[in-house]
Amino acid sequence: MRAQRLIPALLDHLIWLLLLAVVAFFALTTRNFLTGANFINILFNASVLGVLVIGQSFTLLTGNFDLSAESTLGLCGLLGIFFITKAGPPLYGSGLMLPLWLTILLIHVIGLCIGWVNGVLITKMKVNNFVVTLAMLITIRGVTLLVNNGQTAYSTSKAYNWLGLAKAGPIPVPVIVFLVLFVLGNVVVARTRFGRELYAIGANRSAALASGVRPERRIIQVYVLSGLLAAFAGWMLSARLTNAMSSMGKGMIFEVFAAAVIGGVSLKGGQGSLLGALGGVLLLTTIGAGLNLMDVSVYWVQAIRGIIILVAMTIEAQKVRVASAPVRDRGAADAGAGPRATGGLSAA
Amino acid sequence: MDTEAYLVEMKGVTKDFPGVRALAGVDFRLRQGGELRGLVGKNGAGKSTLMNVLTGVYPSDAGEIVVRGKSFARMTTTLSRQLGIACVHQHSQLVGPLSIAENVFCGALPTGRLGLVDWDTVNREAEERLGRLGLAIDVRRKVEGLSVAERQIIEIAKALFAEAQVIILDEATAPLPKSDVELLFGFVRRQREKGVAFVYISHYLEEIFELCENVTVMKDGRNIGDYAVSELTPPALIRAISGVEVERFRHASAASGGRPVLEVRDLSRPGSYSHVSLTLARGEIVGLTGLEGCGKDSLARGLFGLEPAGQGEVLLDGSPYHASDPREALDQGLAYLPRDRHGLGIIGARSIQENITLPILSRLTNAAGLLSARKETELVSRLIALLDVVTPSAAQPIQFLSGGNQQKVVFAKLVSASPRVLLLDEPTQGVDVQAKVEIMKIIDRLSREQQVATLVISEEIGELLDVCDRILVMFRGRIAAEFETSDPGTTVERILRAVEGAAQS
Amino acid sequence: MRFLRTNSVPALLDNLIWVLLLLSGLAFSLLTEQFLSVNNLVNILVHSSVLGIMVIGQSFTLITGNFDLSAESTLGLVAVVGAFLLAASGEPANGSGLMLHPIPTVGVMLALGLLIGAVNGLLITRMRMNNFVVTLSMMIIVRGLAFLLTQGKTVTHLPESFKVLGHGLIGPVPVSVIVLIAAFAVAAVVTQSTRFGRDLYAVGGNRDAALASGIDPDRRILHVYLISGALAAFAAWVELGRLGVGATRIGEGMIFEIQAAAVIGGISLFGGRGTMIGALGGVLLLSVINSGLNLMQVSGFAIDMVRGIVILAAMLLDAQKLRYRQPASQQAPSARLAA
Repeated sequence: MRAQRLIPALLDHLIWLLLLAVVAFFALTTRNFLTGANFINILFNASVLGVLVIGQSFTLLTGNFDLSAESTLGLCGLLGIFFITKAGPPLYGSGLMLPLWLTILLIHVIGLCIGWVNGVLITKMKVNNFVVTLAMLITIRGVTLLVNNGQTAYSTSKAYNWLGLAKAGPIPVPVIVFLVLFVLGNVVVARTRFGRELYAIGANRSAALASGVRPERRIIQVYVLSGLLAAFAGWMLSARLTNAMSSMGKGMIFEVFAAAVIGGVSLKGGQGSLLGALGGVLLLTTIGAGLNLMDVSVYWVQAIRGIIILVAMTIEAQKVRVASAPVRDRGAADAGAGPRATGGLSAA
Repeated sequence: MDTEAYLVEMKGVTKDFPGVRALAGVDFRLRQGGELRGLVGKNGAGKSTLMNVLTGVYPSDAGEIVVRGKSFARMTTTLSRQLGIACVHQHSQLVGPLSIAENVFCGALPTGRLGLVDWDTVNREAEERLGRLGLAIDVRRKVEGLSVAERQIIEIAKALFAEAQVIILDEATAPLPKSDVELLFGFVRRQREKGVAFVYISHYLEEIFELCENVTVMKDGRNIGDYAVSELTPPALIRAISGVEVERFRHASAASGGRPVLEVRDLSRPGSYSHVSLTLARGEIVGLTGLEGCGKDSLARGLFGLEPAGQGEVLLDGSPYHASDPREALDQGLAYLPRDRHGLGIIGARSIQENITLPILSRLTNAAGLLSARKETELVSRLIALLDVVTPSAAQPIQFLSGGNQQKVVFAKLVSASPRVLLLDEPTQGVDVQAKVEIMKIIDRLSREQQVATLVISEEIGELLDVCDRILVMFRGRIAAEFETSDPGTTVERILRAVEGAAQS
Repeated sequence: MRFLRTNSVPALLDNLIWVLLLLSGLAFSLLTEQFLSVNNLVNILVHSSVLGIMVIGQSFTLITGNFDLSAESTLGLVAVVGAFLLAASGEPANGSGLMLHPIPTVGVMLALGLLIGAVNGLLITRMRMNNFVVTLSMMIIVRGLAFLLTQGKTVTHLPESFKVLGHGLIGPVPVSVIVLIAAFAVAAVVTQSTRFGRDLYAVGGNRDAALASGIDPDRRILHVYLISGALAAFAAWVELGRLGVGATRIGEGMIFEIQAAAVIGGISLFGGRGTMIGALGGVLLLSVINSGLNLMQVSGFAIDMVRGIVILAAMLLDAQKLRYRQPASQQAPSARLAA
């Protein structure tokens, strides 16, 4: 019985052990790895992914996922530049020349709305979350293509680009923002009523309902949050690149997923922490950076990342096995019934 | 009787789960040549567990199983199937999107030329086989379009095709219209005449009396009697099932007079209950009992907002009360302890602390709006002590506690919400004897110290007599009788008669 | 003889795809003149071939209730591996220099497809891992391997004999069309009329029931992943023939279209239902929409958006269909409570 409790505990913090091991590996095999500049670089690369992972983690905790986040990033990142930029070559904006504050507000409202639609379809219309967010992924990407006819928009606005390029001393602004958001997110998840209720919903939705939680409301809220953060990430990325391609963010969703799950945020819901997710983000980005420094071909990096994800998943699958064993027995014992431990809910 | 005369003999079967002995030395026998055996008992009595041991789903910890004279210490699902024992339960063993014929031949479809499936043969043979059992149904229909009764008949048919000689129907009828039940019973009787033995597990005693020849009663993991149905009366059966508890705790009324806390006026919900009226006074403990399906738990769930309450009026301390979800109920001061502890009562993977504080998180915040660890630990420790929950720490996941302690944690959760009214559905179910007493004392203390008005829904009439001031009986959706426990004329027999539906004398 | 209720449930929903196909065909033939020409219709079929073969593979896994998100990457890797083996080394071909004969090349390609399918299948069945997660990871890994092999460069200058599947003609009919139709025909026979195929429906419809009927769900699931991998390899052969070059990004992003075509055609994401012919209908519908809108000179991005909406609608419908499939509503206990 002791072992059964010890192993999950170890596995929960596995991500940090892995990170440590990876850092140690690179530190020993590569020059320039253990430098401040390199660490800052890693964090810089992790920032956009990190913001998306925060949003995804919130939905994952409730036992849902948001495949559409990358498309929301793409759309909002594009619209951000689109609204404030002149039309026609060489910048290809809309010509609307909206004030910056309005543009930023608008793109976040759009992200919010996309999240809200996702949430409503999933809770009120009871459509499967995979199907809804997948369809949204495709549709929003389509809208993005439509907006500027597939043409990349370029930003020359220093104010806009500030979020991506500015630095506070040696530290890039995106890094600060990303870390701040993570800390805030962690506080919300671990120390607010909202966060607690998310865990309850993910672990046992009906029991949560019977305890006074409103699962539907919370689920809509996390999708809104995911959409909002995706919009913000879109601003960050397009600001950093100073342009927005219509394909911006395409394919990112898989890495987002991977980072969250590697970091211990369970696909089943009700398990994991934002801190762990941060670990997942750092692990993936560190591996990428380390391999880069080793002059490993960027293509190896892709493959290796995939393998890491796979390994992490295998471990997660084992975790589930270890953790679920005692529960089943208890359930059967207390209901006195067979595998259907419903305790004989009356028909009346 | 020598062993050869029995088709199946279970001798001294014992099964333990962590914290609970589900079966304690159970003997169970089925005769050769066909039998219609009812298997009854309250939830947690061990009926399904016993059958699960017979079908090999659970290995027994002691005892032996003898089938047609051959003895087996270990039973497996494959072995059980080979021996001709099959089980039909609420989890369908049919593939919904496929046709009846295909389901009949699932895994063994007849093939014709080129090794391709011969659909003509499939359909023809299926129709023939079902016909031989006395069924005429379009075998091309998809299973998912069938009614529950029809599906169960097909499942029984499948078992028969696999040469099953013992068919266990585990809570097979659940909510079924009378006509469908007739259909099923007619089919079952015909097969019994051909020598098949049926074990019929059900809460609906009317059905036991209608269908079965014999009935085995289980209680607390023991077989407390095999009876011929013809020699039983319904009240005698009910009494055997619920038993009469040895008095070890007596509650003295702590009800204060004045306007009732909860008033239910003429509440009706089609299909569940009709024209229910009751009152609960401050500090009063009222019991609510009746047969499965009488509406007592629907009523509680309706009042708590888990289901629609229906038409009618409900007043809480004189003001109109309405809850469209549990949150609203809790906010207005009404709390509910669910019968299904695992599905609705506890969140197994989360800690004891989180389970307790979940409904009242808004009260545990500090100035910044964050949860205050101090306030939380204070509250939780106080409640754990108050309710005497045995646990090394409040941070432990609740799933590792025993049933009794889990139930106490659920109580703690309800208490934390400072309710005015408590609705408890089978509060002592799945809990060991000692914990039962402790829980009854908790209920008593709450009414005394906090003047909480409590409604206890239970089929344990003995326990109700111990802890309640009044007992209401529901029958077929209506309040059929009311008893004062202080009245010496209130006996288990009288209550049982009301439960069974006899008019009040 | 006892008669049971025989209210039959109309199967209209399951045949919706043909109605839709007919409607859109009609609509486009009215909106543009070129639509109804033989040339155009043949073109539609040609362009459907690769997607079609991929959809067959995906449908096999979907019927058992599993996803194969890695299929698009298998398509890509196998294609570049094949090209790599065939082409000369160095610029401009960027091949291996082995200049292998087409026949063994195809052999290697199919073997690779099977290998990837095996890895997927084993991880999911033996290691009990979630199919979404496994095939998602494999999607990333396999694409990464493709990039590794080609270093991002496109492999060109493939031998003409290899392009038969993509470009060849038998009489007036393109080989790829024949392949498409033959593939679907075989798949349809397998799923409708073989024990293997029927086992798949049982596994996807109710795994426990399948198990109780003596079917080994894990074995079948392994089989469908092998099939998916092999078909992706086969599709790679066709695609390579069509494109004439081995581009590292072949198939990238295709996974959504594949799922969509399958779902539109009636293959449920939840498993246990749908037919191959229906899936073919889904493929054709997407191609018809593509062709029609193209002929109407609608911008490429608007086409993408329309496709997205069609996919959205199809999936919503699939989810709704699940609700309506619930059996005849059981009467509430009031029937028993009624005096």
